[in-house]
Parts: sequence; C-alpha cells; structure tokens
Amino acid sequence: MKILFALIKKEYLQIIRDPSSIIIAFILPLVSILIYMYGINLDTVKVTIGIKNDDANPEISTLVKSFGHSKYVKSIVYDNQEAVENDITRSKIRGAVIIPNDFSKKLSKNQPADFIIITDGSEVNTANYVQNYSLQIVNGWLMASKYKNISTKALINPIVRVWYNEDLNSHYFILPGSIAVTMTLIGILLTALVVAREWERGTMEALLTTQAKKIDIVLSKYIPYFTLGMMSLSFSVFMCIVVFKVPFRGNLFILFFVSGLFFLTASGIGLLISSKLKNQFLASQVSLSIGFLPSLMLSGLMFPINSMPLFFQYLTMLLPPRYFISFVESEFMAGTVWRIVFINSVFLTFLATILFIAVYKNTDMRLNK
Amino acid sequence: MINDMLRRVIALVKKEFITTWKDPRSRRIIIALPLMQLLIFANAITMEVKNIDVAVLDRANTVESRELLSRFENSPRFRKFYYVENESLLKNKIDNQFVQIGLYINNDFSTNIKKKTPASILIISDGRQTNSASIASAYATQIANDYGDEISNVSLQLNPTVRNWFNPNLEYRWYLLTIIVAMLALIITLLLTALSIAREREMGTFDQLVVSPLTSFEILLGKTLPPLVIAMFLTVIMTLIIIVFFKIPFNGSAILFLISVFISLLSITGVGLFISSICKTQQQAILGVITFQMPAILLSGFISPIEDMPQFLQHLTMLNPIRFFMLLVRGIFLKGMSFNDVFYNLIPLVLIAILTLSLAALTFKRKLD
Amino acid sequence: MLTVKIKNLTKTFNNQIAIDNLSLEIKKGKITGLIGADGSGKTTLIRLITGLLVADSGEISVLGINPALNKEKLNPKIGYMPQKFGLYEDLTVEENLKLYADLKNLPYDFDKILTFTKLAPFVHRLAGALSGGMKQKLGLACALMGTLEFLVLDEPSVGVDPISRKDLMEMVKNLINPNTTVLWSTAYLDEAHSFDISVVLDKGRVIYNASPNDIAKNAQEFEQKVIDLMGGYHKSASKIAQNYPNLDSEIICRVEANNLEKKYGDFYAVKNNSFCINKGEIFGLLGPNGAGKSTSFKMMCGLIKPTKGSAKIMGIDISDNPSKARSNLGYMAQKFSLYGNLTLKQNLDFFASVYGIENDRKKERVEEIVEIFDFKNIQNQKAEELPLGFKQRLSLACAIIHNPPILFLDEPTSGVDIIARKEFWNHIKSLSKKGVTTLVTTHFMDEAEYCDRISLFYKGETIALGTPCELKKRVGANTMQEAFVNLIKESER
Repeated sequence: MKILFALIKKEYLQIIRDPSSIIIAFILPLVSILIYMYGINLDTVKVTIGIKNDDANPEISTLVKSFGHSKYVKSIVYDNQEAVENDITRSKIRGAVIIPNDFSKKLSKNQPADFIIITDGSEVNTANYVQNYSLQIVNGWLMASKYKNISTKALINPIVRVWYNEDLNSHYFILPGSIAVTMTLIGILLTALVVAREWERGTMEALLTTQAKKIDIVLSKYIPYFTLGMMSLSFSVFMCIVVFKVPFRGNLFILFFVSGLFFLTASGIGLLISSKLKNQFLASQVSLSIGFLPSLMLSGLMFPINSMPLFFQYLTMLLPPRYFISFVESEFMAGTVWRIVFINSVFLTFLATILFIAVYKNTDMRLNK
Repeated sequence: MINDMLRRVIALVKKEFITTWKDPRSRRIIIALPLMQLLIFANAITMEVKNIDVAVLDRANTVESRELLSRFENSPRFRKFYYVENESLLKNKIDNQFVQIGLYINNDFSTNIKKKTPASILIISDGRQTNSASIASAYATQIANDYGDEISNVSLQLNPTVRNWFNPNLEYRWYLLTIIVAMLALIITLLLTALSIAREREMGTFDQLVVSPLTSFEILLGKTLPPLVIAMFLTVIMTLIIIVFFKIPFNGSAILFLISVFISLLSITGVGLFISSICKTQQQAILGVITFQMPAILLSGFISPIEDMPQFLQHLTMLNPIRFFMLLVRGIFLKGMSFNDVFYNLIPLVLIAILTLSLAALTFKRKLD
Repeated sequence: MLTVKIKNLTKTFNNQIAIDNLSLEIKKGKITGLIGADGSGKTTLIRLITGLLVADSGEISVLGINPALNKEKLNPKIGYMPQKFGLYEDLTVEENLKLYADLKNLPYDFDKILTFTKLAPFVHRLAGALSGGMKQKLGLACALMGTLEFLVLDEPSVGVDPISRKDLMEMVKNLINPNTTVLWSTAYLDEAHSFDISVVLDKGRVIYNASPNDIAKNAQEFEQKVIDLMGGYHKSASKIAQNYPNLDSEIICRVEANNLEKKYGDFYAVKNNSFCINKGEIFGLLGPNGAGKSTSFKMMCGLIKPTKGSAKIMGIDISDNPSKARSNLGYMAQKFSLYGNLTLKQNLDFFASVYGIENDRKKERVEEIVEIFDFKNIQNQKAEELPLGFKQRLSLACAIIHNPPILFLDEPTSGVDIIARKEFWNHIKSLSKKGVTTLVTTHFMDEAEYCDRISLFYKGETIALGTPCELKKRVGANTMQEAFVNLIKESER
C-alpha cells in the first residue's frame, strides 16, 4: 500500500510539473464545449437560396419577397440562369428556386403549377434543407394568396411531439454527448505516453528492481489519471449545467458513477497503447490516429447506430463512448431510467475490466532487450 | 552551392523516410489505421434512418386506423411494432428506448375522417436522440400525410420538380466519403509532422542538426517533403479506393485535384511543423495537434454549415485549411469545379502554408536557448 | 560465502551472443569491479543478475534466489543503479529521495545521505537541473537506501569529475555495512584497482577474476595489465590523420572566445571567459561537473546565445554567420545525440551527406570510417541498441566524417573502454599534427596530459590556464589528478 501511495504521489507531482496534462484536462474540454455550443447547430440551419422568377405577374413578386422574409433562408434574386448555375458550383448558394413564366397562369386555371427546385446535392444535408424550406415557403405563400383553393384541406393532421426535449434544442443532447467524445480523447491523451515515457527515460528499469509489484505499477498509472480525468469530466458537466443551462433531470450520483466507469475505459485504452508500444513516438501516432474520429463518427452522437449494417453495429459495441452517450443523454434529458443505466453500466464495466486485464498483461516486469 | 544544399536536403529527407516509413511498426500505424477507418466509416455511416422501432397505441382500432398502420408496417424504414394497451405502457416503451417513436391514434379517428374534419394522429419522438428521432418523425409525418391526401382526394395546386445537382439521389455516402478522405489526410499529415521536431528535441538530435551546416530553410525543406510525399501517397490511395470500391463519381480534372491536394497538404504540413517547432516534448506536441485538429474538424462545415456559425467563428474558419481542403475535394470530385473556382479556393491555403511554414522556420532558430 | 553463483550462462540477442557460457562467483562482503571492452557484455550480465533479463540457458543464483524465477523476492535485497539512472528529472531531489524511500519501505531519514552527497543545498531543485556529477550522486543515494545485501552499480561514474568520483566511492564505502556485496562496473581503471576483486569480461566470457593487486601494485600498472588481458594496444599510425587533407589557412587563432558570459537570472553559468586556440592545438576544458564547461561549449558552437561576449570560429563570428562558421566544425555532444532508430551505417551516411561529402566520395569515406572504428560487425545495428562505448565511438566518427579543421568534443571518451580511448587519443594527436584544432572536455585526468593547454574551469570562471606541466608545477603536484584537486582547493580559499 505504501508503495502504491508513493508511486501515485510521484505521478501527481509529475502532473503538476508538466502543464500539458493540466491543459489537456481543463482547457481542452473548455475549448471543445465552446465549439459544440457555438459552432455546431443541428436544429435550424440557415441556408442561402437563389431565386429566379420568370413570371412577370406582379402577384408572384410577393412570392420572391416571402423568400426574403423567412428566418431560415437568405435569398439572392437572380435573373440569369447561368449565374445561378455558377454560384451553385461555387457553393455561394446551396440551391435555387426557379419560377417559370406560366406559373401564375396555371395557378389561376387551377392546374398544377410547375416550378423547379435545384439543390447542390454534393452537400446532402443542406440539399434537404433547401428542398424543405423552399416547399414550405411556396406552400405558405400559396395559402395566403388569392390562388388558394378552398378544397385543399388535409384530412389527417399529424402532430409531432418531441418528448424530453420540448424546446427542440439540439444543444441539450449535443453538449452532454460531446462530453463522451472529448473525454475519450482526453483519457487517451493523458495516459498514452505515461508508461512509454518511463521506458524511454530509463526510470522503468530502476522501478523494476524495487519492491513495487506489477499491480502497484498498473494502479499507480490508473488512479492519478482517473482522478484527473474525473475532475475534467466534472468540469465539463458543470459547464453544461451551470454555464450553458442544459436542463439536468437525472441524478448526479448516478451520473458520476457511470462517468467513472466510462473514464476507466477511456484511460484503459491510453494505458494499453502506452504499455504495449513502450515508445512515445508510436504511442503518439496511434493515439492521434484513433483518439478522435472513431468516437465522433461511430458513437451515435452524429450518426444513428441503428441504421448501420449489423456487422458495424456490433463493431460499435467496442467503443466506450457509445454507451456513455446513450446514458448521458438519457440521464440529462429524461432523468434516471434504470434499464438504460443498467445496460450501459454493464457494458462499460465489462469493457473496463477487459482493458484493465489487457493493461496488466502488457505491463512487463523485465526488459526485452 | 545548389548541389551542396541539395545533397544536405536529400540526406535529411532520406533520414526522415527511414524513421517514419522504413520502420515497420510506424508504417503499419500510418497506413493501416487511416485506411481501416476509411473502410469502417464508409460502410457504417449513413444519414438515412433505418430500422426504426415503433410503439403503437391504437385507440380507434377501425378500418382507417388499421389501414394507416399498415402503411407504416409496409415501409422499409420501420422495423418492429409493439402494440400496447395503454398510455403508461407506451411511455414505458419510449422511456426505456425499446422504440424510437410512438404513435397514438385517438378513438375519434375514424369518426372525424367521416365527418371530413381533420383527424389527428400523435407522433411521439424520443428527443434524447434528437438527430435520428427528428428524421424518423419526418418519415412518419410523410406517411400520414400521404394517406391523408389519398383519402381526401385533394387536387394538387403545386407541382415542384426537385433537381439535385451533382448527386441526383442525394446519396449521403458521396458527400461523406469525400469529406472523410480530407479528414483522414489531415490526421495523417499532422501525425507525420507534429512529432518530428519535438521528438528530435527530446532526443537531443536537434542540436546536432543545428550545429551542422544545414540552414533553417534546409531543415524546413527536409522536414516538409517526406510527410508531404507520404500523405500525398495515402490520399491518392484513399481517393482511388473511394472511386473504385465505393463508386463515387469523379467529375473533375485529375490534375486540378492533385494540385489542390498538394497545396492543402502543404498548408497542413506547415501547421504541423509549426506546432512541432514550438513544443519541447512529444506530449506537448500531441496536445498541440489535438487543440488544432479537433476545432478544425468540427468547424470545417462538415457537421454544421459555416454560414450558420456566429460571425466570429466564421472569420476564424478562414484560417482553417481543412475547410478549403474539404470544399476542394468535394467540389472537384462531385461538381467538377473549374480552374477559376479551384484557384479562388487555393489562395487561402497558399497563404496559410506560407504563414505557418515561415513561422516554423523562424521558430527553429529562436528556440535555440 | 557467495552472493552470486553463475554457471554456464548464455544469452543471445537476435543470434548475437552477448553472454557466452559464462561462469562466475561473486564473494559476499567484497567490492567486485566489472571491467571489459565495449560490448563485452557488462550491462547484459548485470541485468541478468538483477533479473531484468532472463538467460537462454545456464544457472544463476543471487543471494540464493534465482532472479529469473523469483525476481520479486530478490528485489528487496538489492540496490541497483542502471546506466541511465532512473531519476525522475521533473521531480526535485527531495521528492526523488522520498519516492525511493517509500518504494523500499524506509523512513525519511536523509540527513546522512544529504551531507555525504553535499546535495543538502539543492534538495528543492529539480533533478533534471542538477549537474551530471550530482545526478549520479543522487542516483547512487537512491540505490544505496536501506540495509542492502547486494549493491549493483552499472557505470555510476560515467561523466563524473574526479572529485565527485571520489565522493561516490566514499559514499559506497561509508554507507554500506561490511556484509554488503558490491558489483561495480566501471571504465575507470584506477577505480577498479582499488576494489577487492576485478572481473574482466571479454566477448561475454570472464577472462580474469581475482584481486587486482595480484597482477599490479598500482593503478598505472593495472591499466597496462588490463590492456594486455584485452588483447593489447598496438599503437599504429592513425589512418584518419593519414587521409586528412592539409589545412592551410592564414588564421592563427582558429577558435576564439571573447569575454563570453552566460547569465541565468542572477546566476552566472559562465563569466568572463576568454581564450584563443591556435592551429593544431589540443585545448582541454577541465573542471568539476556544473562548472559551466558544457555551457561554454554550447556557446562556442552557437547552441546557446551568450548574454555577453562573442565566439569566433576560423575568424567568423558564430552569431553573425552560424552556417558558415559551423561548416568548419565537427561537434560531439555530451549526451548521445544521434538517431537511435537509424542503423550505425545510416547515421554515418546521413552525417556524411549533411556535411557536404559528395556522393561518389561518400561511400568510400563511410567504409573507411567503418574500418578505422572497427564497426564492421555492428554497422547494421540500430544505434540505440549499441553498447555505450560504441555509441560514443559512433558520435566521434560522425563528428570527424567530413574532415573538419576544428573539433569540439564534449566528453568524447565517457564510458569508452581503455583501448578505444588510447586509439582515440592517438587519432587526435595525429590530427593535431596535421593542423586540426581541438577543443575537448574530459574527466579522465590521464587524458588531460595529452592536451597542449588546459583551461581549468570552476564555478563559471577560468581559475588556471596553461600546459599540463605548468599547472602541475604551480601547485607542486605529481599527477594531473592531484593538480586538479589542489587547484580547485586553492581557488576555494
């Protein structure tokens, strides 16, 4: 026990001496949360749409105007087809609406009136927005115009209710979810070099001839970075709840319990890289390569896991942030749901144990060369 | 004179290749990890929401309501249906995430339809997974509307034609893969450059270089070329993979594409070398990389469009090479961007490259003490 | 009573034999010196004894324990100081001591050790900021803690000045109890001569195992005997010098320091340092660790900017035109600073090209160097895997590969075996006759005798400057070692 404490103390002293650990633990989450807060918006995306009206009827000019009045659309009026095309290629506008010269004529004759919506399909998300916004605006204009057909009344009225997020604020799930992505990265970065460094600097050789046991060495790496990581995680949660006012309906105790399990897996990944490679250069390369993108892309934060091919759904089961995102979003927005807490904790515990065993097995007590 | 310089630079380039490329462990990391990620992301990620599970509470249980529900059952997007008896069971299914959406049909559904007054149907989406939930509820709304249109026999007043340029079927993969190539190229380039000088500093070999007749410029050149060549090579491989195996259409000029990739990678190399030149240890270098890489990816316009960001962040993205890199890759690939448009987007990249490379060269000298 | 019993031990690395069917017994309560040529297997043997490596075959028993099987039982009984001592450089002296005390389950009782090591004033300094000699003392202090049965030291005196070396020896002799066995590997033969037993290794075998006094009465004689044991040194004409181009230049003062000064905060690392080294002169910079030798060195080649004064190489000011000035320079750093992940030959190739040797000449030159330095068998090994002595030789080889008119060598022979050192100085002497100017630091006092002039450095200032004879005469000393100690004492007063 005394040996373990001594090693842990040493690790803390090293953390204090090297500002980069502190920066990783506290500045990085701050930067990250600010980016997710202000740089990322998944609710209502504002797009620039070009509009070209070939119909000389003055009634139609109100349609052009209503594009200008929409909150979500910035419109640019064109009278030259070629300019429209060029600007779409250049990504200056994300799409365009073209009103043909017989538009008002057909409307007054009660024939279906043709018009064209062009989108820049190279950006699929904005293309969808262009399509939806344009249809809404044209429809809205029609309902308020003299061309409105009385009989147009849908018999079924679908009402959408969004539970747990009535305000439809995507930050309510992005911010807590982003903690999982950031913390995976931080867990790996904090720990990926700490074992390799001791091998390279020769301190491991001295350590191996002391009375420190394998379990002491492993735990002395886990515990300090785990506590540092948990402080960092608490800091992020604090920022979410207090500064950015994300509603928290769950239980703080449960949140910290599952966070702890999660951070054990994140630091386990880093320690595994470090103790396996024993070389700072290679460990850095690996952690830079896998630290960020997989957890951003495959954890379910941005892209639905359910829609992936089955094999890849199973593959994501190896990613700790997947479970944490699922848990943390639910805990924040719906409060404690025991089934969700339980399933995710079980998987996290399982992964944390496997990683711990792997780290332990890969901690050498002798030199290889 | 020129010969001497060339000889020195070639020696340095050779040395760099031996360290990063000839070392089998390092090479495996540099090649295998990005390519593996490319293959996984390409196959796994989709924006389409599939396999949606639904909980249904049908209080009407009439011909009409059953007809509507059969439309859902026949849609390929929906998977499992849980028919429940009461509200609390419906809530339970949603709370515990057995389902992504819930449908509630009131007992006046058919009577309303017969009275020709709008009959409501409630679509409940799980706001904890807002991203996929909102897409799922849009599908559900669509199905309900279509059914409503069918039974009310309304005549259509508008007949929009949607043309999705460059990507007629709005295949998300086309968009995603061009972006992933750019992101992975960024990661490879950074991990090849950011460690190179920091590592030499840590090992003491940098002094040896400084004392040699190598000038700052030559060191810069020797440190720039190998990562550039390796990253270029891998980017071309990834590009070929997405063309050949994932059938992404390549509509632009191959030469323009290569030039754009080259200049983009050059600017990223500059960033990486600059980070490396100001860091004393590899630990600091990976921190530097992450502090750049994470915001660069998140604020590249990939997750949320740039014109949607606050003004301040929009200005900041002018310094983000990955923003222009992604635009160019996608633009040349899918849109067949012309020389003029490519040139216009290359200017900021060239400026970033000049700025960062000269900063790096200046810092070599400054950092001697 | 035996502490170590080894029978027919063999250890190979990638089909290269490091320890070859070795048998050895180490007696309890004695200090045993381990000496041998570079690459003779000293470090491997030590690591096998401590259980850090496991042998391919053979029997080994340390304190009655098999280190390959029961390393954890052995650990509490031994103190081990590896070559790269395991100090945490980002921890202070006190924190390092406390850590090792805790690891060995001992109370924080450092008074005695701090007085002995003279580290008391520096307890709150980071270990990384200590001078080389003090680091070694601290390392030894950590290894010495507790009541040990067996102390294993792998070249603790590499890069340590004569005074500190004496201190290290005193520390060991005073801080252990009479029953403690010591295994001490060293390249200093005067040190080895003072031990109870000498074990000489050669190519992984024991070629001598008895008291050093059996074959030699004093250190000088012992040195000669060891050289004979290792195959003898035959002085021959230096091939490096033979092929060296003649260096004609008008400049007499080849290397010049003018009032060099370096100040860190209020602390003068180097103060008022001026000298001029003439063509063909070997100029020695001597002084205890931490006196400011390396700082002067780095200022001379432009790695550190002086706060005052200037340095000129071949008449060119290093801060005005560093590139041009440095092209005349061969530099060998104190710490091994070549590319560890490149092979020996790749390192030579690299430095040959960087220093502007034309491609057609390069191959020839590299082969020549390989032959002169005896690198044939190891030229395809990675530099980081080489034994310390070979690393030093490689560094030197890289420094002279381009036939520079000026050599800056910072402790070039630290950790190098005696024969290689003799060869090395033979080269330097011959080169100086060809007009090569050398600035060198060393902690081997016998080497100081080779210098034409010596500047003795202490606390950042030159306290004596002159030929070795002049310096000895000044304080009435017989050997350089004595002169060194006396001159420093004199300046203390």
